[in-house]
Amino acid sequence: MRILKGNPVSRGIALGKAYIYKAFKADVHESYFEAGKEDEFFEKYQDAVYSAENELNSIIDSMSEESPEKAKIFTAHVEILKDEEVAEGVKEMIYENRTMPDYAVDQIYTGFANLLEKAQDPLIAARAADLRDVRNRVLRILKGEKESNLSNLRESVIVVAHDLLPSDTATMDREHVLGIFTEVGGATSHTAILARSYKIPAILGVTDATKIVSNGDSVILDALAGKVLLEPEKETIKEYQEKLVEYIKEERETGQYLDRLPLVASGERYSIGLNIGGTDPDESFKYADFVGLFRTEFLYMNSDHLPTEQEQFDAYKKVLANAMGNPVTLRTLDIGGDKTLRYMTMPKEDNPFLGNRALRFCLDHPEMFKTQLRAALRASAFGPLQIMFPMVGTMDDIRAARAAVDEAKAELRMQGVAFDEKINIGIMIEIPSIAMIADMAAQEVDFASVGTNDLTQYLHAVDRMNPAITDYFQSMSPSMFRILGRIFAEFNKAGKPISVCGELAGDHLSALVMFGLGLRKFSMNAANIGRVKRTLSLFTLEEAEDIAKKAQSLNTEAEIIAYVKNEVDKRS
Amino acid sequence: MYSKKIELKNASGLHARPASEFVAMAKQFECKVTVQRLDDEAAQPANAKSIIKILAQGLSVGTPIEIAADGPDEVEAVDKLFALVESKFGED
Repeated sequence: MRILKGNPVSRGIALGKAYIYKAFKADVHESYFEAGKEDEFFEKYQDAVYSAENELNSIIDSMSEESPEKAKIFTAHVEILKDEEVAEGVKEMIYENRTMPDYAVDQIYTGFANLLEKAQDPLIAARAADLRDVRNRVLRILKGEKESNLSNLRESVIVVAHDLLPSDTATMDREHVLGIFTEVGGATSHTAILARSYKIPAILGVTDATKIVSNGDSVILDALAGKVLLEPEKETIKEYQEKLVEYIKEERETGQYLDRLPLVASGERYSIGLNIGGTDPDESFKYADFVGLFRTEFLYMNSDHLPTEQEQFDAYKKVLANAMGNPVTLRTLDIGGDKTLRYMTMPKEDNPFLGNRALRFCLDHPEMFKTQLRAALRASAFGPLQIMFPMVGTMDDIRAARAAVDEAKAELRMQGVAFDEKINIGIMIEIPSIAMIADMAAQEVDFASVGTNDLTQYLHAVDRMNPAITDYFQSMSPSMFRILGRIFAEFNKAGKPISVCGELAGDHLSALVMFGLGLRKFSMNAANIGRVKRTLSLFTLEEAEDIAKKAQSLNTEAEIIAYVKNEVDKRS
Repeated sequence: MYSKKIELKNASGLHARPASEFVAMAKQFECKVTVQRLDDEAAQPANAKSIIKILAQGLSVGTPIEIAADGPDEVEAVDKLFALVESKFGED
């Protein structure tokens, strides 16, 4: 079995056979024709446009009754195809430069697509995909190739592709598509939007998917965790079949809790945060009170160079806009150790998780760190942004990080650049040494958030990447709940906000225990919101406190899980 | 040459459907029609008959724009497009 990872954009689980879909790939080279043939080649272009319009109109006709919404995509394609500026541009290239029609079409459409992609509004930027789609249609017709699409699948499959264009997804024979995974695409891409509206599980951004997977391979698509399991074993298949049944049941029950106020049965309000790792807008923002964890690694890892201050600033501003006025907690670069950057040489370490990573790495690279801090500070002028440092172990770390912020602030002040002078500075609590002195830390930071995955790893001395010791990774152990109780109590006593943004916050059982331990801010992946809201709504504050007390006194993780699960099951 | 200034009043700005309707209406006229955003000094007048150019302007609610036309039916073109914007494209 092999596991591929990607970005789950449409939730769900699917089991089935892979179907590799290769769309027409335009192979265009810069080329010109001899003088005197201008009319001939322009006519060729006009004929292609005419055929393209006919194709589009027949798609529109076949769709307008059953799915008028999707037909609109193709109406928009006709608009683009007949756009005055496009026609002018192509005509000019053919007549003035004697450019071959295919190259002219490619140049004009690509130019406009790049222009739209730069738009601030992600909805406009997404229209670039429509332009590329129309371009491919015209290029294919110019080449004399037939239309190929997913409209006629014989059996149920999981579609694997480099990318799906709007015309692929819209004409797709969705009765037979169990799931989709592609190599590129974000949460606002057409593929993502259509997959969600069809309720087809989809994972995008699976690197080299079409190279690794072959037609007919047995595949499990876990679009809850963002994993593709290739050629799974029998037990895994059985496990996922059960998961699928459970998932469908869960969905039905928790969906209705999504837009409810986060309240426990006795009326106390808590808040729900969202964990994000990109700039895509998402409807989940409206179910959350804040962004508890904005990971910034994607800017560094999806790039071939260190992201510039401007690139980072633009991304941070976009996230603030997505959050619609709610606070956004930006975590500075959490890299080093196992996560490396291909454009930077990083020495190999024997114990990467105990090594030069996250804040340590940033303090070690002050210029790189300053670029991110300046970008974050500048963005803070546009909305409630707060900065959070990962991998803090001592008061020295807090002071060094604050000093770096102060330096960046002083620079901006000198340059007369606007930022929020009172920006909140906080830390991740994931190393036991800082958890033990949470009272001291609370005096020098504005807030903190617990990263429960790393806290478990460091508290239990378990490398969470090592598959041989997964049973030792016990994030719901009595030790964990004792240390968490202590952290919450110290921060609550100091009157400083404390949240949890690790996996535990999104686990409804642990969330209940942590509520009982005094936690009021839970930040999680969008997928867990409904379930956490539902479980917490079943208990009063007093009941949650009793459960937490009991959980802390049980001897093993297994006992705690069994106990809390039983309490929850009794209510639901 | 004839022109009028207005602020976009519909919540979704000049994207998607409103943009299409705006361009479709502009195309009904013989004259040259342009839209220019007034809150950005670098902005150039964009061809109102090109959906791509209009989208690329990124015109959202509250953006002040100038609709200008040049040609035989310029007054009617500007007045009708102005009325379309004024009516918020039927949104509300």
